[in-house]
Amino acid sequence: MNNLLLNAPVVAQSVNSTMDSWDHLLLIFLAAIAAFIPRYFPMRFFTKREIPEWFNEWMKYVPVSLFTALVIKGIFIDTASYSFHLFGHVNQIIAAVIVIIITYMTRSMALSVIAGLVAVALITFLM
Amino acid sequence: MKREEPNWLAVLKISMPLCLSYLPIGLACGILLHAAGFNFIMTFLVSIVVFSGGAQFLIASLLTINAPMLSIVVTLFFLELRYALLGSSLSKYMKNQPQRFIWLFSVSLNDENYAINYLKFATDKNWTPRQALMVEHYSLISWAAANLVGSLVGSAISINLEIVDFALTALFLYMIVMQVRNRLTLIIGLLSAVLAAVCLVATKSTIGIIISTLLASFVGFFIESRLRHTGTKAERWMFGKVRGPAMTRKTIEDKNES
Repeated sequence: MNNLLLNAPVVAQSVNSTMDSWDHLLLIFLAAIAAFIPRYFPMRFFTKREIPEWFNEWMKYVPVSLFTALVIKGIFIDTASYSFHLFGHVNQIIAAVIVIIITYMTRSMALSVIAGLVAVALITFLM
Repeated sequence: MKREEPNWLAVLKISMPLCLSYLPIGLACGILLHAAGFNFIMTFLVSIVVFSGGAQFLIASLLTINAPMLSIVVTLFFLELRYALLGSSLSKYMKNQPQRFIWLFSVSLNDENYAINYLKFATDKNWTPRQALMVEHYSLISWAAANLVGSLVGSAISINLEIVDFALTALFLYMIVMQVRNRLTLIIGLLSAVLAAVCLVATKSTIGIIISTLLASFVGFFIESRLRHTGTKAERWMFGKVRGPAMTRKTIEDKNES
């Protein structure tokens, strides 16, 4: 794998070998830290001070940018070779449109996710 | 109010729709984490300490493609960065709370329980931080239990993982649609889609996601800071509202706008 992060020491040993439970535990520990920092520090900091406008304005666009990038990776990128396939997963494209419509109409998380799963299962089965 | 019901029950009633909707998604998440190699203890642990559907699905899907650990953690950090915004928007209701409470509250903060608490704080003046914390804990219990069951069931039955994996895409699509409130966010989403495809193919790694996220969010930030309060036609167009059907307009923002 031609990976930009291969030079980092933590990373080198975990590539190509499947992780054991200790690696999983380390991953969970690091993930917990990654989850904790953005949840705790801004909240603690801004109970004492005013929220600066630039921070709010930048933060507004992080989620939508990231979610879109992850959806693109899920539907259009073949993760074995990192190549782009516009119609690699037609079943997922159709199901994605259904999810968007259902979310728009109902704004219900459970309904949207379940409808998406049912749609992708049905379409895969029919194709 | 006819009769005073105990506090824990009143809060449980408010949390119930959320707890129930976590069950199927938590199950799917547990199954995927099991398929990615997590044993049930790890799955239970990660659903308590990370407590984020998106993050856990992402861990599962990145583990199955053998993504390097550092790459997984950095992507997770950017994924969780949205809580900086959610957390700071709740901070005005936490002004008199001790440090320990803020710590406890922030570790189980999550998109969905945030939505409930934000709505309650904004509409119910008797809503207390303690009750808000209780909502978080009820949702945490339901999420962790569903993950645990999913993890145990995952070893017993065989499921087409490509289909379950779509839960991640569906969850993010849901969050995108919920985020798009004006034309500028829609444009940034589309820009991010193009950038993500280009960056992923160019870097041949998940780092492409991080690069495209940074680029797209800075473009959004830049456009917003150039256009806001200019009073031009471009500003009015960019910040024109994109709204859902009338029946779904229940949030505080919707009420303020109409």
